[in-house]
Amino acid sequence: MHFFAKIVLAGTSTLFFGPHLSAAESSQEEIAFFESKIRPVLVKECFGCHSSQSGNVRGGLRLDSQFLTRSGGSSGPAVVPGDPDASLLLSAMRHEDWEMPPRKKLSDDVIEDFRKWIEMGAPDPRVEAVAEVQGQVSDQDVARAKETFWAYQSPMMPTLPNVEQDWWPSGSIDHFVLDKLEQAGLGPAGDATDFVVLRRLCFDLVGLPPTVTLQKQFGEAWLKDPQQAVEDAVEKLLAMNQFGERWGRHWLDVARYAESTGREVNMTYPYAWRYRDYVIDAFNNDKPFNEFAREQIAGDLIPVATDEQWASNLIATTFLAIGPKNVNEQNRLQFKADLIDEQIDAVTRVFLGTSVSCARCHDHKFDAIAQQDYYSLVGIFQNAQTYFGIPPSEYGSYSFAQLRRQSSLLKLPVQDVHADDKKYSASELDDLHQQIRDVQNSLSELRRSGRSAAQGGANAQRTRLRLLNQITSLSAKLSVVDENGIPNSYCMGVQDLEGQYQDARILMRGEIDLPAQSVRRGFPRVLCLHSETVPESSSGRLEFASWVGSDRNPLTARVLVNRLWKNLFGEGLVRSTENFGVTGQSPSHPALLDYLAVQLIRSGWSMKTIIREIATSHLYRTASDFSEEAHLIDSDNTLLWQFPARQLDAESIRDSMLSVSGEIDYSRPRGSEVSKAGYQRVVGSFLGDPRELNRRAMQMAGQAVRNSNSVTASPRNFPPSRITGQSRAFSQGSRFDGIVRDQFRLAVEESLRKITSQLDMEDALCRSIYLPSVRDHEPRSLVVFDFADSSIVVGKRESSNTANQSLYLMNNSFVIERSEAFADRLSKHSSRLVDQIQYGFQLAFNRHPTFDELSKSVEFVKAWRTESKVSNRNEGLATFCQSLFASADFRYLD
Amino acid sequence: MIRQTHLSSSKEAGESQRFSRRHMLTNTSAGFGMLALGGLCGGFSERLALADEVADSNGNLTGPLAPRTPHFSSQAKRVIFLCMSGGPSHLDTFDYKPQLERDHGKTGKYGGKLLKSPWQFRQHGQSGLWVSDLFSNTAKFADDLCLIRSMQCDQPVHPGAMTQMHTGTAQFIRPSIGAWTLYGLGTENQNLPGFVSLSPPPSSSRNYGSAFLPAIYGGTKVGRSERGNRFGRDREDVSIPDIKHRSLNQSQQRKQLNFIQDLNREKLKREAFQPEVEGLIESYELAFRMQSAMPEVMDLSNETQATRQMYGVDDPTTATFGKQCLLARKFVETGVRFVEVTHGNWDQHVNLKADHQARADACDKPIAALLKDLKQRDLLDDTLVIWGGEFGRTPAAQGADGRNHNNRGYTIWMAGGGVKGGFNYGATDEHGYEAVDSPCHIHDWHATVLHLLGLDHQKLTYRYAGRDFRLTDVHGNVLHEIIA
Repeated sequence: MHFFAKIVLAGTSTLFFGPHLSAAESSQEEIAFFESKIRPVLVKECFGCHSSQSGNVRGGLRLDSQFLTRSGGSSGPAVVPGDPDASLLLSAMRHEDWEMPPRKKLSDDVIEDFRKWIEMGAPDPRVEAVAEVQGQVSDQDVARAKETFWAYQSPMMPTLPNVEQDWWPSGSIDHFVLDKLEQAGLGPAGDATDFVVLRRLCFDLVGLPPTVTLQKQFGEAWLKDPQQAVEDAVEKLLAMNQFGERWGRHWLDVARYAESTGREVNMTYPYAWRYRDYVIDAFNNDKPFNEFAREQIAGDLIPVATDEQWASNLIATTFLAIGPKNVNEQNRLQFKADLIDEQIDAVTRVFLGTSVSCARCHDHKFDAIAQQDYYSLVGIFQNAQTYFGIPPSEYGSYSFAQLRRQSSLLKLPVQDVHADDKKYSASELDDLHQQIRDVQNSLSELRRSGRSAAQGGANAQRTRLRLLNQITSLSAKLSVVDENGIPNSYCMGVQDLEGQYQDARILMRGEIDLPAQSVRRGFPRVLCLHSETVPESSSGRLEFASWVGSDRNPLTARVLVNRLWKNLFGEGLVRSTENFGVTGQSPSHPALLDYLAVQLIRSGWSMKTIIREIATSHLYRTASDFSEEAHLIDSDNTLLWQFPARQLDAESIRDSMLSVSGEIDYSRPRGSEVSKAGYQRVVGSFLGDPRELNRRAMQMAGQAVRNSNSVTASPRNFPPSRITGQSRAFSQGSRFDGIVRDQFRLAVEESLRKITSQLDMEDALCRSIYLPSVRDHEPRSLVVFDFADSSIVVGKRESSNTANQSLYLMNNSFVIERSEAFADRLSKHSSRLVDQIQYGFQLAFNRHPTFDELSKSVEFVKAWRTESKVSNRNEGLATFCQSLFASADFRYLD
Repeated sequence: MIRQTHLSSSKEAGESQRFSRRHMLTNTSAGFGMLALGGLCGGFSERLALADEVADSNGNLTGPLAPRTPHFSSQAKRVIFLCMSGGPSHLDTFDYKPQLERDHGKTGKYGGKLLKSPWQFRQHGQSGLWVSDLFSNTAKFADDLCLIRSMQCDQPVHPGAMTQMHTGTAQFIRPSIGAWTLYGLGTENQNLPGFVSLSPPPSSSRNYGSAFLPAIYGGTKVGRSERGNRFGRDREDVSIPDIKHRSLNQSQQRKQLNFIQDLNREKLKREAFQPEVEGLIESYELAFRMQSAMPEVMDLSNETQATRQMYGVDDPTTATFGKQCLLARKFVETGVRFVEVTHGNWDQHVNLKADHQARADACDKPIAALLKDLKQRDLLDDTLVIWGGEFGRTPAAQGADGRNHNNRGYTIWMAGGGVKGGFNYGATDEHGYEAVDSPCHIHDWHATVLHLLGLDHQKLTYRYAGRDFRLTDVHGNVLHEIIA
């Protein structure tokens, strides 16, 4: 049994959150020493590049105050009191790791002064008194909020209300909803038709349209007993693997899942996909939600019986590591503070429906969440190290020019190697090693000629950056395979730091250089139903995770069932799904919300149980018909007098086009485009070296032109050297060359387009959840239909209706190609146009066409065929198919 | 002068007989969220309704991009932002420092040798504004320029400063100033995107993104930007995605669209009240119009030879930026609210003399042409033109011929849109290290730009994650002095 076991990691890390400061404990003489020997040197020699005053903070290092000096810059603390060898400032002055000041070594006397000064404890009077932040949220405020605000009280099983139309409910949910409707003098909508209900069920549960066979079966069952028909269908759908892909995607929205850091320096996360698969499996296996929550917050700390379980738990903590990151941040303390802030924000909003990060800078204006509560959570998370980068190779740790914050990865305790994973043969490995040694040599040569290079200026600098980027790429390739070239299995995630667990200090206005008093590690007080404490011997993260994944707080269960409800009805019972606070919205049906929350807990936190109960309610199969009378009373449909019709989301639109055209590939791809491409900086909208772009495009174009010319022109007239040999091949001015040049130019354009739209994956036939999710470069097929912004927690996507979407459906080649395949499918089904059209409606709209629709369709295709001059017989049918994809019936779920 | 406004609000397409649209509006707390063009459902409208100023008072609402009344009347109606990426040196362009010239070669305040500007400064216009020879063409419009010579931002590195310049912060992901503008004012031409970013550099989408604002307020990237595309360089067909079908011609597409709309109307007929479907029908029509409107506005072939020459469209030195400036003029002319044009790379740590000269050569003439063109079309009065980079550069030399980043003091200028022309605001110290007189932080500048557009930066808020956010966070003071 592993207990709090640590994983051996490549590379070491010594991150702590803030330096220890000493106020005026130094003696008069020590201070005098600083003033006479140290301060003048700092001002004269260092401030030009390292002070707030000059506005120049190279390497993130500022030497203006004791705090800043001891905090240090990107590389670590500049001064460690009492430890000259660990003080980077001294090593830089000695011209060891750096040469400071540049191109000028200070005298030995001065360096000795600094050594002495550090050894005596680096006395430094440049200290501002530690402020005591006085919060505005008092203990009484917290107590009052707990007593009075609905969301801070434990959910209780409500009694089932009596309803007049007692024949209507098929379960408890219906009682609660009908009760509210009757109170308002309204009634529920009539039942929807069988095909509408089935379409709803299929899209809601598995994100795909019903097959023709299922339509038939369901229709027959419905005639006998609608309730039973729905129950059977729900059971079938819940058991499908596509269920996890549908509901897992909902979770990835709130978990801000993505495969890169985003921001200006956008580095890939080649192992993020493991978390994606973990989430899908969790939904398919109906993993109890309390465990699901615990694993994502502290999977690394949960005792486990097997290595497999441990590996899975580690992957779960990827949740904490996949947030957007500014890896270009110079200041490592700022970076860490922002990282923790992002983790706290995600955890509290995703699981607790509460924004605690609002209190980073000052007490929460509305909710009873004090700055103190925020920093008590910072205390918990700051004792962990987050792993999101790439391990160092045997050659050490290199980084891209603009990458200032790096990190390693977690090695899984069990190897997970797949046939498709990138392996290296012995000779490939040798080659990589040779390349890296060559670059290393070039680098050290450049360094040796440093003095002259500095004068040589830009070129030397450019060469250095290029070499550094090369060596980083090579090192990243080598670091993820073992000595035989077999990939090691890594994941992203977190691990607690070794040593003493430290409480965090409140930062005034959230500024890292304005620390105030420290606060004990703990949980947001207003959310604690019982008293909760963090033991001295623990970081508190496991305790926090257990508390979040339990009924010891009033919100986790409510927030979850509300989300499940939202996924089935378009809106939550609490419409602000991530904000259950005072500024959020109150529940439309408080009793129903509590009923579902308690049901969830009683079912052993089974999400499928709740989904099943909602989907089999009578309410779920009501019609979306409009009622003027009801609208006058309840214009927002809060009481659910009609089933809320809504647009299909991005994945459903793309997946159902693939399903309807018959091309969909249901298999789960290994990894993703990002994992195949590996660790790199994303520049432009493709993976790979931008400097290689032209070469790759030329190569592709050359190939394409060769292929097409091998049919139309004699290869003898078209030596390959001409097209791969770049522009000089075009120098001869014959007419044939002119034609070839144009052809080649077009081919290059097309190749460039293909390469630069790599992340759109227009040719992929897999389900949308498996498309690459690089921040700021999400596939157009999804972005255009309000795909969740992966840089923020998205509980409810927008649902917009834009001209851009129309353009996509009218002109995008993915849509056109699916329409052509759809037309082929119809042609294969029957040779009669009427049959083809009827089958098309059945596949795309899951119903038969009305008479008007049928006749208009026939007329349309026939007219197209007569008018069209194109020989392509199927164009008319394909245009008809595309029209179905573009129409409101396809895009809406009634 | 053409200043068309295409408002779909006037088109009462598909009004339900059973239920009036106006009735729906006045009785839905979600406001106009459900309606027509871009009509959004649910969460968005409810959040939008929390913002201070979202609705036209006539109830004449069609969607989130419909033009909206600003908080107060103002002169500027639209913005052209000439974004100079890389940090152009204020000391060599618009911040004349005679003392730096005198102290050339001496040691600077923070070490290093002071470097005088290699370019001559001269006074221009009635106002006598000092401008260096780098911008001798732009200088002809000195009396229209309002120089803010005391800019400051918090970030000394490019990506951070660039992001702060656009969104107010480098720390968090926030909406761009263009998105805020669109959110506050809507746009005047519903056939075109309201916020256009022309050929933005790669990986800069956050700088024109909408972040938590509804996606519809985000900038539309127009044109290619991928590096190394030398084959596309000499072509003028900058474009937006999916604007053209690969094989169908316009009349064929119209036939297809008629059929799609037939199907949509069948659905409308079947169901009593479907505002979303009405919206869908409308957005297909819009898309169809956009298919011709977009290429039309981007087609430079109809411009006179004189205009092309003025912008330097056919001169290889100025072609790229000249085309973009000309496009920017065409976009604002047709009612686009916010146009951004990026020009780089101004980051001269080395080769200051040669490379700054080259950058300026590529943009000086087009900028002058843009100002002249806007003026002669009577557009400059209500178009705010902004020129500036993410920071300036140090007075002390880096190497023999370079300058380092300087975020403590630099210059941005604005013209038109109700700012004082021929005006200097603020000043840096004698050498140009730091803003000492009336510093203008990025937040202050943002507050001022919004103010010029009639928007109160404290009132233009959006509720997200339980908090009201604004472009200026908790900061920002309007520079009333620069307003004419």
